[in-house]
Amino acid sequence: MNVIEVENLVKAYTDLALEVVAVDHVNLTVKKGEFTAIVGPSGSGKTTLLNMIGGLDKPTSGTIRVNNKDITQLNSKELINFRLHNIGFIFQSYNLIPVLTAKENVSFIMEMQGENRKTVDERVSEILTAVGLGDRMNSRPNQLSGGQQQRVAVARAMASRPQFIIADEPTANLDSKTTEKLLDLMEELNEKENITFLFSTHDQRVVNKARRIVVLEDGKVVEDNENIKQ
Amino acid sequence: MKEIIKIAWKNVWRNKKRSVTVVVAVILGISAGIFACGVMQGWVEQRIDAVIYIENGRIKLYNPDFLNNEEINNVIPNKEAVEHFLNKETVIKAFSERVKLMAMATTSRGSTSLMLQGINIDDEKKVSKLYTCLLQGTYFEEETSRPVLISDKTAEQLRIKNYVLTTEILDSLENTASIPNTVIASLRSIENIRFESENKMKKEISSLLDRKDVSKYGFDVLKMSEQYRLRSKIVFTFTDKQGELVNQIYKVCGVYKTANIMYDQSNAFVLKSDLSTIAGLNEGEIHETGIILRENANEENVQSAIKKAFPELSVLTWKELSPDASLVSEYMSIYLFIFVGIILFALAFGIINTMLMAILERTKELGMLMAIGMNRKRVFSMIMLETVFLTMAGAVAGMLAGWLLIQVTGMTGLNFSSFVDGFEAMGWAAIVYPTIDLFFFFGITVLVIVTGVLSSIIPARKALSLNPVEAIRMNN
Ligand SMILES: Nc1ncnc2c1ncn2[C@@H]1O[C@H](COP(=O)(O)OP(=O)(O)OP(=O)(O)O)[C@@H](O)[C@H]1O
Ligand SMILES: [Mg+2]
Repeated sequence: MNVIEVENLVKAYTDLALEVVAVDHVNLTVKKGEFTAIVGPSGSGKTTLLNMIGGLDKPTSGTIRVNNKDITQLNSKELINFRLHNIGFIFQSYNLIPVLTAKENVSFIMEMQGENRKTVDERVSEILTAVGLGDRMNSRPNQLSGGQQQRVAVARAMASRPQFIIADEPTANLDSKTTEKLLDLMEELNEKENITFLFSTHDQRVVNKARRIVVLEDGKVVEDNENIKQ
Repeated sequence: MKEIIKIAWKNVWRNKKRSVTVVVAVILGISAGIFACGVMQGWVEQRIDAVIYIENGRIKLYNPDFLNNEEINNVIPNKEAVEHFLNKETVIKAFSERVKLMAMATTSRGSTSLMLQGINIDDEKKVSKLYTCLLQGTYFEEETSRPVLISDKTAEQLRIKNYVLTTEILDSLENTASIPNTVIASLRSIENIRFESENKMKKEISSLLDRKDVSKYGFDVLKMSEQYRLRSKIVFTFTDKQGELVNQIYKVCGVYKTANIMYDQSNAFVLKSDLSTIAGLNEGEIHETGIILRENANEENVQSAIKKAFPELSVLTWKELSPDASLVSEYMSIYLFIFVGIILFALAFGIINTMLMAILERTKELGMLMAIGMNRKRVFSMIMLETVFLTMAGAVAGMLAGWLLIQVTGMTGLNFSSFVDGFEAMGWAAIVYPTIDLFFFFGITVLVIVTGVLSSIIPARKALSLNPVEAIRMNN
């Protein structure tokens, strides 16, 4: 079953009368439960592509279907709602609300999603324990290490089992050991909860963990290796 | 919504300096507004109170000619019928009939011209609170022949006000220890010496004490040494009914002082029986009737009722007799409105600024929140609520501070005499006892809160205008 279907996706920026095609006729399908890395040199269009798939940015042309729903047709209000209920996000940094504890950061989004108190409480401690922070639930972001903060972000993204999770360079600010741990964790959760991951990276070690690698160059998909065995 | 309230509340505590700034601004805004209101209201009420209960009464009756020409012959016509009417009207609480003659007051040292008012003590006490304004002596209580009540100002002009530091005063000063003993010791050299003007006393004190002590204690010492020569004789000269100049000697029984120097220097009081006889007026001839009404009576209604019954009389309300006081009471709300407006403007400016800074600081975080699915309504409410919390905290503290300020100063009074000299000359008290209506008290508070809430709209809108993609890219 295809969770994401991208067809002829184009994003062009006109900068000082100079047209930059950041994403150039990209076609891509992602199946449920896939663990996919988007790689490519800086400026190749990874972020732009992920932002459009995540409903943060509008394409110049082409379609994006999530579970057969064309999200390019949604207006901005519908898009926000769509993001809230269907997509988990992990950013490079500033993922968390500094005034809330780890637990509150996770439950906050579930409350916005309209989950009831009991579901929220159960799921929050389940997921935080799953990311290895069962004992740090009441810590504020500034009391956590960079790696721990990213794990809270993973927990938040996964909390209400979205259609897929988008992570744009989630490990860019982490050292290599922490990077590896985070990736292992993401992979484990991907298998255990069967959640689709789509992430971008520069980092070869991260690439090595992926089970599918999509290579972008100048906004075009130049390679797509599925079912890589490790 | 619960989660939004929670974040907004926690955000309040995030940048203490900023939050304190907003809260303090609100506190200052409210308490300053309330205080200014209180001072102004207290002032106006005191003035109106004085106008009604000391100077005029609420309504006064005259022979219309007397208003143009204060001559002895212009008496109120039909006095018995008027009296009968006033006694019958239930809204009329009391009235007092007066004989008024322009007179020259003379002592061996000075003279001044003033309005000599002949009154009936019992009636007058019901209408005028002047008897509460005595500095020394009594309100016609002593058994002397022909007593006169004069003002402090008149006593000065007639030079029957002296300045003496009696042994008694100095001894009691030594006991209270409000003034250092060294200063008292220096003052002993003018013990029991009588100075006939303030200036002479001032000069002497300045030469005895050093500068610092003069500025610290001089005023108090001067006030304490004030003394009136009670029972001094004053000659009043006026024209009697036949047009002849007559002289009559009165003895000072008391000295009064109101907040209105103009009133003080032009009014002296004697017994109506003393004055009428020598002026050749008979029992029924009076020049003025001062009337006070029951608490919630409408003075305009009473005025027109009297006018209707006695078209030949001039019937004037206090508003017509002291137009300055009524004008200011009408304009008070406009002044207050302008003043509070300025405060609110400054407050709005401050809140908008600090909250915009807060938004700027949190651009990335707000971008992230919008990206993960926080909708416009939630973002807007979050920012609004934060400001509302701050404003509310400030409002409660500000109301308390303002209320306390009014209570304390309302009891001690605020002395403006050292700042401005002219107030009393215009009839406005130099010592103000602030007071505030609940209407103004809550009105100002509500205005400040509304301003706080309205000014939070701009920062909240600013947050909405953020583009999450750009905000997030900032940190990539
Ligand atoms: N808002 C914009 N206006 C103009 N050009 C843009 C804008 N955003 C991105 N671009 C351009 O689009 C191209 C793709 O950028 P993008 O950020 O998607 O690349 P990336 O692969 O994510 O790079 P990196 O690895 O450095 O994050 C770049 O050439 C970039 O300069
Ligand atoms: Mg990028």
